[in-house]
Amino acid sequence: MRTLVGVLLLGLAAALGSTFMPQIRVFGGMPDLVLLLVLSLAVFHPLERAVTWALIGGIFQDGLSITPLGASSVGLVLMVFFIDWVRGQVFGVGLLTLLGVTMIGTAAQKVILLLISALVGFPIRPLETAMYVILPTIVYNVIFLFPVYWFTRRLSRERARHPERLTRP
Amino acid sequence: MNGGLGYRRNWRSNRGLFLFVTLMACAILIIGSRIGLLTPIEDSVAVPINALSAILNRVALRLNASAGDLAQIQALQRRNAELEEALAQFQAELVELREIASDYQRLADLLDYTSTTLNMEFVIAEVIALDQNAIFRTITINRGTRDGIAVGMPVVTRQGLVGRVIQVSATAAHVMLITETTSSVSGRLQTTRAEGSVFGAPNGNLVMGMIPLDAQAREGDLVVTSGLGGNFPADLVIGQVTSVRPAENGLSQEAQIRSLINFDTLEFVLVVTNFQPVDLSVFDQVGRN
Repeated sequence: MRTLVGVLLLGLAAALGSTFMPQIRVFGGMPDLVLLLVLSLAVFHPLERAVTWALIGGIFQDGLSITPLGASSVGLVLMVFFIDWVRGQVFGVGLLTLLGVTMIGTAAQKVILLLISALVGFPIRPLETAMYVILPTIVYNVIFLFPVYWFTRRLSRERARHPERLTRP
Repeated sequence: MNGGLGYRRNWRSNRGLFLFVTLMACAILIIGSRIGLLTPIEDSVAVPINALSAILNRVALRLNASAGDLAQIQALQRRNAELEEALAQFQAELVELREIASDYQRLADLLDYTSTTLNMEFVIAEVIALDQNAIFRTITINRGTRDGIAVGMPVVTRQGLVGRVIQVSATAAHVMLITETTSSVSGRLQTTRAEGSVFGAPNGNLVMGMIPLDAQAREGDLVVTSGLGGNFPADLVIGQVTSVRPAENGLSQEAQIRSLINFDTLEFVLVVTNFQPVDLSVFDQVGRN
């Protein structure tokens, strides 16, 4: 899949995340489409490309939030590297592994975002955020992972047919 | 093909360095964003994504409204019966209130006092997005510094107070909702004039705390802004008391408040452009000196 397609998909995911997703919010939790898309893409694509999408996805998220530019990218980048590390440890990253990474990744991304927000001077309430935002978001992300994973797997079929495209710097 | 494999091997062998460089890039972005160096880039990122969000938000709100309409038909029938009963009661109260209003107007003329709410200047703004990160309860509106929007300006609708502007770009602004847990608004019970502090509960509701124990607070009381603290004009409607209980510390009362606004389905808001929040930070400096 070309980088530009990924960028457009991430832009769309960010826009959906700030328009459709709040309509199904439970407490403060809602599906994090950008995170799910980046994690799923990282399974099917090489590290360097996944990192690009993590950076851009985070920037899109911060463009629609009060957090400083780049704050959301930190968690996404770390999760992409984590997936790459897991890929090196086991035979391959399947849906079950990704499910576990999604749960850890959701919590980690929100905690990192909270820490950065606190560092740059935003008032935060960690315990309440954990209870009312992070937990419902984990549940939502686990549910929404299945369609997002299916979608990215279909997209990656193009990669399997044209592997030489990936080697382009 | 071989060059490509070599390229991939190169990255893999320097994974630690790659991670370090990427995180440094993020750190530079964050610092640059906080000190304002990246404002032009932020604006250029925000313009296309805000435009897309504005379109999708309209679709989402229409769909939400349609789904809500279907689900609420039965609820509306019950509510209709209740409202008809309430209407009869309110008509009697209306006559009484008109009398009070005319008395108030006469007294106000005598005192040469004009309510600030009557002199408000507004800019109408469309809500184009809700906060992406879910940690903060904010909305994005399609008006910015070009339209005279500045940080601190209160945001309202006909139903009451929405929040205040906390970040502004040229064409958009972020508004912190009063339901945000770190938001605090000085409120007053309209009937008993008891003061308190209204803040967002983690579940998205509003709570009015710090109500004195001896103050009477009842279900149905209207809560308005008191104007204390200088962050909001006085007498903007915040919501209605739904229940009252003693606070956990036992030193005050706490009231659950229901806003008339559904903050997840806001379409248009009004930004009060002629209200200047009072900057109290100067007193902190004097205190330190």
